[in-house]
Amino acid sequence: MSIAVPHGTPALATTSPVPPEPAPAPVNYLNVSHTIWSWLFTVDHKRIGLLYLGSISVFFIIGGIFAALVRMNLMSPNGAILTEDAYNRAFTAHGVMMLFFFLIPAVPGVMGNFFIPLMIGAKDLAFPKLNLASWYVFMIGAAFSGWAVLVGGIDTGWTLYPPYSSRSSQSNILPGVMGVFISGFSSIMTGLNIMVTIHKMRAPGMTWGRLPLFVWSLYGTSLIQLLATPVVAVTLLLLMVEKAAGIGIFDPTIGGDPILFQHMFWFYSHPAVYIMILPGMGVVSEILTCFSRKNIFGYHAVAWSSMGIAVVGFLLWAHHMFVAGISFYAALLFSLLSMLVAVPSAIKVFNWTATLYRGSITFHAPMILALGFLVLFVVGGLTGLFLATLGTDIHLHDTYFVVAHFHFVMVGGMVIAYMAGLHFWWPKMTGRMYSDWWSRVAAIIMIVGFFLTFVPQFIMGYHGAPRRYPNYPQEFQIYNVLSTAGSSVLGLGYLLPGIYLPLSLFFGKKATANPWSATGLEWITPSPPTVHNFDATPVVVCGPYEYAIGVDQMGRGLPEPPGPGGSDGPTGPSGPMKKETEVVG
Amino acid sequence: MADPTTPATTNDPHGIRKDVDSPGQLFVVFATVLGLALVNVFLSQSIGPTKFTLPLQLAIGSVQAGLVGYYFMHLRQGDKVVILTALSSLFWMGILFVLFMGDYMTRHLVVSQ
Repeated sequence: MSIAVPHGTPALATTSPVPPEPAPAPVNYLNVSHTIWSWLFTVDHKRIGLLYLGSISVFFIIGGIFAALVRMNLMSPNGAILTEDAYNRAFTAHGVMMLFFFLIPAVPGVMGNFFIPLMIGAKDLAFPKLNLASWYVFMIGAAFSGWAVLVGGIDTGWTLYPPYSSRSSQSNILPGVMGVFISGFSSIMTGLNIMVTIHKMRAPGMTWGRLPLFVWSLYGTSLIQLLATPVVAVTLLLLMVEKAAGIGIFDPTIGGDPILFQHMFWFYSHPAVYIMILPGMGVVSEILTCFSRKNIFGYHAVAWSSMGIAVVGFLLWAHHMFVAGISFYAALLFSLLSMLVAVPSAIKVFNWTATLYRGSITFHAPMILALGFLVLFVVGGLTGLFLATLGTDIHLHDTYFVVAHFHFVMVGGMVIAYMAGLHFWWPKMTGRMYSDWWSRVAAIIMIVGFFLTFVPQFIMGYHGAPRRYPNYPQEFQIYNVLSTAGSSVLGLGYLLPGIYLPLSLFFGKKATANPWSATGLEWITPSPPTVHNFDATPVVVCGPYEYAIGVDQMGRGLPEPPGPGGSDGPTGPSGPMKKETEVVG
Repeated sequence: MADPTTPATTNDPHGIRKDVDSPGQLFVVFATVLGLALVNVFLSQSIGPTKFTLPLQLAIGSVQAGLVGYYFMHLRQGDKVVILTALSSLFWMGILFVLFMGDYMTRHLVVSQ
């Protein structure tokens, strides 16, 4: 147990006065200029974060529409609405849009851009122009791939396996692959920017041991983005060369090796799963500690487990290839290595659970979603162990079990965490509060709808239903109908924030600077923040989650937290919590 | 454009001497990298697939990568942390190559039933 407050610092503990609410800034980053050019040429990290928010929301809707098409088609054993070929293109479009243009940029692009500088006390990211360039490159890539999937589509699945993709497929492979290739550069730029910013631009006193866990998780994510993305870029380039020029690289009929593609593709795409989930874990770490009014349990363990996941995530890609014809001994090794990633993941889960223990929990929408994440991620993670085990994977490979596992981690984990982060930081981003009641309802609908959608797929997959088939035996119809019904509930859950969040911009109550009584530096700025974030460089004297002594990172007292009933009245725990908690510094 | 009167060296605030490559130097390196690529193509066509072809071509490729790293990525001006980072990336690439070559090199081994 350590506290990093230096001796002689004015008393931080129980007597720290609550600073007065900062006056709303007459000029903030939203109203400083209203022209379209001021948005398109902005180098303000907050505005670029909102540009990402707008674009990925559109791609999420497109990907969601394709998911709805797939689910509706599976209502009937012979395909309800799509031809076989159209079905192939629909599930590929769903995968490409969701993975490359929503999940990967979601938290780093929106919340990483917006909050990393605020959380470490900087006025912007290290390379503001590179940041804007990353958004443009992302949009160019999205234009290529979006055009490819909307005009004719791609029929290979998002994994683009050759030789089908390079030799036989007559769909829009080249523009689709080109789009993914281009958007990869955006990912590298964002990762580089965030990593340099964390290294070089931390406020005085913001040591590595005082970084918020969201920052740690983005640091691990950036490491993967920097190291892994070039490999998939090379792989996709080689695929395009083979397709366009007929040079044998992956196609065995002209001297290539299709397993080589799978090795190179998964060397990126498995760590890419951690690009998607690690930021979500960071978001959840912030929310669980705030809404349970307790210091995070095991700060260093949670922080280093992010790095552990980032590193170990590179060592286990070939568990996607157990039935592809790889060597038995390699499969054995990769099975063992795949088990390793459960260790840092479990460290996080145990520490989050310990954080909740004896906490004064309030169930606002971000907390409901974060708790939903915790449950869904545990299910997704544990079913991953089934797939990492060599013997069971042979039975479960390419079945709906894999689809359900993947969606439990990516949707139940990442999308729910993204929604949690959006609700947590929405007041800071916009200066407005959303409807507390509707947001709780939406959170519950999302979680229930998710269970209804994907639990039947576990059962189906265990019984051998293969994924990606448009037709299936009659015995699986009940599960498919249940799953489709669940997906409509899930869709409603996603639709509601799409209504009440925009409405809050016009009708929502004005947000205070720190509506959740949180401890991070981002909450000391007005809501919405000023253009340069801080009037004076903040000096950090505390760890990131000093709820036990009731102070923020500058050692100042916290405002009254919102009450458990969702009101803003003084019904919640106020002042320092008399809990046995670890104080981190 | 750089001021031609400015000397080709500068000091950064941390006191690390930074040699700035002249355009001529960079062009020579660029030409060398391209020349090695041509040598590689020529070798593959002239000596064909012998057991020495692949190691030779990989060796040439390594020299090319080394030149790009040393000059264009400014490793020769980098401090110890930068050099360490570059070496770490080699280690990371080693993971990629060792693990997937592990697959290729053990495929012929049959598991006894």
